[in-house]
Amino acid sequence: MNIVIYDEGAAEELNTSEIAQYLEERLAKAGVEVRGSPFDRVPADAVGNLAGEIARTKVDRIDRNLSPKTEPLAAEIEYEKRRILGRTQAFGVIYDGFDLVRVFSTVMPGEELRAGFIHIVFTNRLFATWDDRNRRYHLRTSVYGRPSLISTTGLVEAPARPREYYRLKQQYERLGRDPAGLKEKFGNGFLDYDDARLTEVAKGYAMQAVFYHLTGDPFCEDRGCRLYNAHWQEELIFAQLKGSYEFCPKHAELLKKFIND
Amino acid sequence: MEKFSAVGEKEITRAIVSGFAKQFQEYVESDCVIVGAGPSGLMAGRDLARQGLKVLIVERNNYLGGGFWIGGYLMNKVTVRHPAERVLDELGVPYEEVSPGLLMADGPHACSKLIAAACDAGVKFANMTVFEDVVLREDSRVSGVVINWTPVAALPREITCVDPVAMETRMVIDATGHDAQVVRKLEERGLVKTKGFGAMWVERSEDLVVEHTGEVHPGLIVAGMAVSTTYGLPRMGPTFGAMLLSGEVAAKVALGKLASRLTG
Repeated sequence: MNIVIYDEGAAEELNTSEIAQYLEERLAKAGVEVRGSPFDRVPADAVGNLAGEIARTKVDRIDRNLSPKTEPLAAEIEYEKRRILGRTQAFGVIYDGFDLVRVFSTVMPGEELRAGFIHIVFTNRLFATWDDRNRRYHLRTSVYGRPSLISTTGLVEAPARPREYYRLKQQYERLGRDPAGLKEKFGNGFLDYDDARLTEVAKGYAMQAVFYHLTGDPFCEDRGCRLYNAHWQEELIFAQLKGSYEFCPKHAELLKKFIND
Repeated sequence: MEKFSAVGEKEITRAIVSGFAKQFQEYVESDCVIVGAGPSGLMAGRDLARQGLKVLIVERNNYLGGGFWIGGYLMNKVTVRHPAERVLDELGVPYEEVSPGLLMADGPHACSKLIAAACDAGVKFANMTVFEDVVLREDSRVSGVVINWTPVAALPREITCVDPVAMETRMVIDATGHDAQVVRKLEERGLVKTKGFGAMWVERSEDLVVEHTGEVHPGLIVAGMAVSTTYGLPRMGPTFGAMLLSGEVAAKVALGKLASRLTG
C-alpha cells in the first residue's frame, strides 16, 4: 500500500512529516510519501480551467443544494487561481465536499488512481455536504474518497463547541467585544486555530482515510476510538487525545490483521 | 471684534449656485464615479484622486462616512483587525490594541480623518444624491450613472415627476454596502448574477471581501460590503478593516483598468 500525503497550505501547525511517520509506524507495510501542494503538477495553462471547476463547487447558501448550472463569477475564478498558485492564504469559502473531491481527483497522477494508492490531502478549505433529510448543508472535517480531503479548518469549525460557547459568543458580538476572549473561559475544551494539538488530532483523521480504503468504512461507533466520527469538539478531543486506547478492540484487530497479512 | 464683511443674501445665494453649478458641470464627465461614501468608497476615492484622477462620490445621505461613525450597537468605537491598522496610521488616527490583532479607535475621529483625507486628495462629492441607474455603452460597458436628488427619490413618483440626470465616467465603483445597488441594476438587466449573502462563518469574511474586490462587469468595480452581496460571502460583524483595504484594492484595480484602456 502506498500512501501519499499532500498539504495545500493547510495550517502552520500541521506537521505532515510527523503524520507520515505515524502512519508508517502503525501500518508497517505501507510506504508513505509526503508531497507538497496537490496543484504543484498542474500545468500553467490548465490553472484557469481548474480554478473555474473549483469555483463551481462553492456553496452559496446552506439551505440550497448546489446547482451544477451555477456559473462562477470572474472574481471567484481569479480567487481560486490565486489559491492554486499559492498566492493567497485567505480562506473562508465553503465548498461542496463531494464535488471538491471530484475536482481534486483530476489533479492526482492518473497512474496512481487505482487500488494500492491512498491519497490524503490536508487543506484549510472548508467544505460541507448536503443532507436531504433536513435540506441543508452540514460542515465536515473530512470527505473520504479518491483523494480523501481533511480540512484543518473543518477540524476547528465542523464539530460543534459547547452550547454555552455559542450563547456567550453571540452576547460578545452584540456588545462589540472580541469573542477571542472566550477561549480562556473554555480552556482546551475545543480545537482552535493555531492549536498545537492539530497534528496529533490530524493523525486520527489520516487513519480514518486509511480505513476507508481498507474496509470501505472510515468510522467507528466507539467514542474512544480514533475512528470515531465526532460531531462535538468534546468528542473529538476525547477520541483523538484523551481516550484510554488508540483504537477500539475491533479496529485494533483489523489493523493487526492488515499488518500480518 | 472684527466685523463680518457686508455681504448680501443674493451674493451668498449666487456664490452657492455658481460654485455648485461649476463643479457639477465639471464632473458631468469624470474618471471615476464612486457610489457610496462609506469607508470603502472614501478609501477608493482618496487613492484614485491622489493619482490625479477626477473622482466624484455620490452619497444618498447628507452626511459622508456611512457606518464608519459607529462601531456597532450605536456605540462609536470602531474596530479593525490587523493588518488594517496601517490605514489608521496613515490617517493619523490614534487607536489601542484591545487584544492581539484587534485594534480600536474612536469612530468620529477615524471617520472624519478619512473624509478629510479624501477631500484633501481632491475627491468631490454629490451628497443628498441617489444612484438610480447605470449608463451602458460599448457592448454593455458601464459608462456612467443616472442620479437624482434624495428628497425627490424619497417622494412618491406620482407627485414628483422630476427626471434624473446622467453623469458619464470611465469607471464606476459600487461601494453601496449590503445593497450592492449598482450591481443589482446590472442584475436586473441580466448582465450580472449576484449570489446574495452566504449565511455562515463571519470570522473569515474580511479576508474574502478583500480577495474578491475587483471588476465584476466591464466598467464596474465592486468594493466593501457590496462584494459580499455580489459573491455570496458571509455577512460581516461590526469591524472595518476589510472595508478600508477593499477600498484600497478597488482603487488599484481601477487604476490598472483605466491604464489598460489608454494603452489599448
